Amino acid sequence: MPFFAGEIFISEVYKKPVLDQTGEEIGKLKDIIVGLGEPFPAVTSVVISSGQDTYLVSWDMINLFNRRVISVNARMDALKPSEIASSDILIFRDLLDKQIVDINGAKLVRVNDLELGEVKGKLCLVAADIGLRGLLRRLGVEKRGEKFLALLKYKLQHKLISWTYVQTVEPKLTRLTLRVSRQKVSSLHPADLAEIISEVSQKERTAMFGSLDVDTAAEALHELEPRVQADIIDEMSKERASDILERMPPDEAADVLGDLPEAKAQELINLMEKEEAEDVQELMEHEDNTAGGLMTTEFLAFPPDMTVEEAIKELRLEAPDVETIYYLYIVDQDEHVNGVVSLKNLILAMPQTLLGDIMLTPVKTLPLDAEQKDVAEFISKYNLLAAPVVDEKAVLRGIVTVDDVLDFLLPTASRKKRRKL
Amino acid sequence: MSGDEQPVKFVEWIKKIKDRRIFLILAVIGPGVIAGNAGNDAGGIATYSIVGAREGYGLLWVLVLLTGALAVVQEMSSRMGVVTGKGFGDLVREQFGVKVTLGIMLLFIVANLTVTIAEFAGIAASMELFGVHKNISVPLSAFLVWLVVVKGNFKQVERFLLLISMIYLTYVVSGVMSNPPWHEVARQIALPRIRMDRDYILLVITMVGTTITPYMQFYLQSAVVDKGVRVEEYGYAKFDVYAGAFMTIFIAFFIVLATGTILHPAGVVVDSAEEAAQALQPLAGQFASHLFAVGLLNASVLAAFVLPLATAYGLSEAFGWESGVNKSFREAPQFLGFYTAFIMIGAGVIMIPNAPLIKIMFLSQTVNGILLPFVLIIMLRLVNDPTIMGNYVNSKRMNIIAWITISILILLTVLLLVTSFAMD
Repeated sequence: MPFFAGEIFISEVYKKPVLDQTGEEIGKLKDIIVGLGEPFPAVTSVVISSGQDTYLVSWDMINLFNRRVISVNARMDALKPSEIASSDILIFRDLLDKQIVDINGAKLVRVNDLELGEVKGKLCLVAADIGLRGLLRRLGVEKRGEKFLALLKYKLQHKLISWTYVQTVEPKLTRLTLRVSRQKVSSLHPADLAEIISEVSQKERTAMFGSLDVDTAAEALHELEPRVQADIIDEMSKERASDILERMPPDEAADVLGDLPEAKAQELINLMEKEEAEDVQELMEHEDNTAGGLMTTEFLAFPPDMTVEEAIKELRLEAPDVETIYYLYIVDQDEHVNGVVSLKNLILAMPQTLLGDIMLTPVKTLPLDAEQKDVAEFISKYNLLAAPVVDEKAVLRGIVTVDDVLDFLLPTASRKKRRKL
Repeated sequence: MSGDEQPVKFVEWIKKIKDRRIFLILAVIGPGVIAGNAGNDAGGIATYSIVGAREGYGLLWVLVLLTGALAVVQEMSSRMGVVTGKGFGDLVREQFGVKVTLGIMLLFIVANLTVTIAEFAGIAASMELFGVHKNISVPLSAFLVWLVVVKGNFKQVERFLLLISMIYLTYVVSGVMSNPPWHEVARQIALPRIRMDRDYILLVITMVGTTITPYMQFYLQSAVVDKGVRVEEYGYAKFDVYAGAFMTIFIAFFIVLATGTILHPAGVVVDSAEEAAQALQPLAGQFASHLFAVGLLNASVLAAFVLPLATAYGLSEAFGWESGVNKSFREAPQFLGFYTAFIMIGAGVIMIPNAPLIKIMFLSQTVNGILLPFVLIIMLRLVNDPTIMGNYVNSKRMNIIAWITISILILLTVLLLVTSFAMD
């Protein structure tokens, strides 16, 4: 059982001499191999280089491992040179100086140093140092740098991220992502996640996106730029792509499919479940920047002779599948919109009241071909959360929610953030 | 329903046109052209003006060879950026660690700072030719350069810089207007009379050093990444790079042509770009002189953008800070902070009366000369590494060309360093 004191930083053991049982130097510590481990990746072997030879010493053969001495429980002549396997994950080569996702900060950072510590009897990778102190330590001037900065009244902080909050970015390393941090990645807001995904390189992006579960992937996909969306969909299997598209609200799926080449979009629609596919196709028939193109077909519609009590029961059943529950649209047998009931009024009304009696009427509607600008003005003018869209026969076809036009309502300055070509 | 069909057909037709090559090319063009033209900065204009005045058409052959060298080096930078999605600073940090990165970055900062100072000197000098005092022109231009990047998004900034790049064509006008004897020009390019004396050789290596500078490589790679050029668009990016290299040398050619036709036969000796512009007046009229002054101003402004940008990108990539022209101060404080600081220092030094400009130019040439070989060798290492470039590593033929080009460049750069110290 190796003996080591407390935590140690990788930079402190790099190229340090490794001794054998008799005190003779085997070589210099060149790298450390880690493997899967919960909660943290555990050290499996140490890589020692001596001239042209490389020795891999498994962790349980290590005797001492600290800043002063690193020694192996074997004689030098008992060790044979070996090769590093291509599937091995090496700390210095593969993790140091690379980019990782700081899940707490929801951004990409660069690893300046790595901390090893004891967890449940094993030496594990416990934290990444992303701060200035890590840089200074790598250069060997941590103490002096700290004193110098103290003169300038700057307190040099430790900036460590626990490995539970780290998501690696390199494709090869996705195995090192812990179950915990994978869950945490899913808890990142889709917009933050999308921003991180759009900042990494193409290869890394595919790997990151591939490690997400279908629901998170569906949310993040919509937040990405159309070009990036198209790239990512191209790079994944058609089955997974159609699965993700099914999970998305039909208007968002229609947006994504609309930006793909026709043949590809058709392929994916054919793979989707019939009901979802129909919804999406209906939405795709309309122009992108019209009410028809912006709307979703998932809304609440009830007959006027339903009671408030029945409506609330029904609402509870349908709520998971609709875009918004704040407006309930009252429609007749021909699907014409007669009125609308807000959630507030629904809750305030007596259970036996008929919807037809508490509804607001007449309802202001938008035609399918209304332009984006007019839709935005409409929603803004009437202070709506959602606007109903009807066709020439006054049949209710869908609703446009306020978040769909929010981008359009924003002043140009904040639109500069969209990195479109 | 037929009323709905027509708009749909029109939209599909527009989509088909958008997929046509020409639009795709136009969409990707930018980084290569800008990076190339940034090589014709204040120092470059000075060099070429002097070359033309001293040697006439005798050194035009160097430009022809330089086109190839520039294209080779730029193409590798662009390829690295497009394939990896990472800037040069990123790659150096990831492959070579903190110590090497720090060394390169320190040289980079010093080199770029001195060149930035030279650009603002160029702005001041060219505006003085129009009667505007440097106390007005320098702060004004510094503010403009700062504002455009901080407030604009990538597309806007790129368009602006491309627009500025087009103004370089005034030099082509100058060159053509000088009415050179074209057959003589052709003869001197095809059969150059190469002298082995020190001045001649010094001019050759100065020309090389001013055309291929590290900041161009850094900027090109970072811009390609910030723009988001995809691997599938690489063919168009290549076109952008070659177009940029060609345009750069094309402009330089006409600068040499202009001074070579007007100043050389008259035996006029000039030591700077503004002297060249002034010297043109008695011999070729005020218009020619103005054209040259405008060209110098334009070149200095373009480079005043590119230099601080290249530095800000490089530092942010190397040390893991957010970067990007689209970002705000809050999102990328170090990137925009360094950009601002560079402009302020660059402009500030020029405002100091009796600033030792010659010494600063000398320092800039020296540090760039030291940095370039390292950058080129690192570039070759990176571009041949399959774990980074995948299938896009250099082919054998490409490697031979690259190695020959880079060896010659390094040799010339070392010669430049040696001779400039020997002359002290």
